[in-house]
Amino acid sequence: MTTTTTATATQVYRVFIKASPEAIWEAITRPEFTERYFHRGRIEAGPDRVVSRGPDGELRRDDEVYEYDPPRRLVHAWLPLYDAELAEEPPSRVTWEIEPQDDGVTKLTVVHDRLESSPKTAASVEGDGWMFVMSGLKTLLETGEPLSG
Amino acid sequence: MIWAVPDDDRVFKALADPTRRHLLDRLFQHDGRTLTELESELEMTRFGVMKHLRLLEDAGLVVTRRQGRQKLHFLNPVPIRLIHDRWIDKYTEHRVSALAELKDELEGIA
Repeated sequence: MTTTTTATATQVYRVFIKASPEAIWEAITRPEFTERYFHRGRIEAGPDRVVSRGPDGELRRDDEVYEYDPPRRLVHAWLPLYDAELAEEPPSRVTWEIEPQDDGVTKLTVVHDRLESSPKTAASVEGDGWMFVMSGLKTLLETGEPLSG
Repeated sequence: MIWAVPDDDRVFKALADPTRRHLLDRLFQHDGRTLTELESELEMTRFGVMKHLRLLEDAGLVVTRRQGRQKLHFLNPVPIRLIHDRWIDKYTEHRVSALAELKDELEGIA
């Protein structure tokens, strides 16, 4: 997906999940959940920082949290430390919006923006990156199983 | 996965129209556009474009966001990914890879 187009400064991803806002909040802020769908990353989000570690404990991200409003809204910086080229770019921003709908379904929207000056980061998360995470999160919450592969 | 069924229906219906696929292609090339920008590239009334965008939005393929005074349209590829995961990964991954291997072998790559 990244080969045919220029990555844009704002990317939006949305998925509807048959789960409560509280369940989604837990799944995006606690490492025992994130390691099952977020590229095996153990992510822990609190009111001040969101820290992500790889399976061997290596630090992947350590970002400032701008807004922490459980179980509705989480806004944080995004500076990948796992890749030297990406780590040199300015931090971008990720917003998680969790909105309950009818019938026990919750709308989850991820907006990844402030990517104007971070084209390599934009290309690295665009398309497959976030889609894999959103699809895996939905599968985990609805079936209890992580995606195969 | 009962919930996935009505969702998929709307996605397939939304994709079953060349104008709507064209709109998605435009957003793929340049995401985050206003109705006016999208309208200027189509031989269609503003009302017609709005109707198509509404169907795409209902299917979850387009997400709108306000930015200042503008309403921007973004391509959301996740519903298509979910269909891919459901049909390709779950049921046909082995067959698809077997065919891919056969192709490689016949073409002398493997």
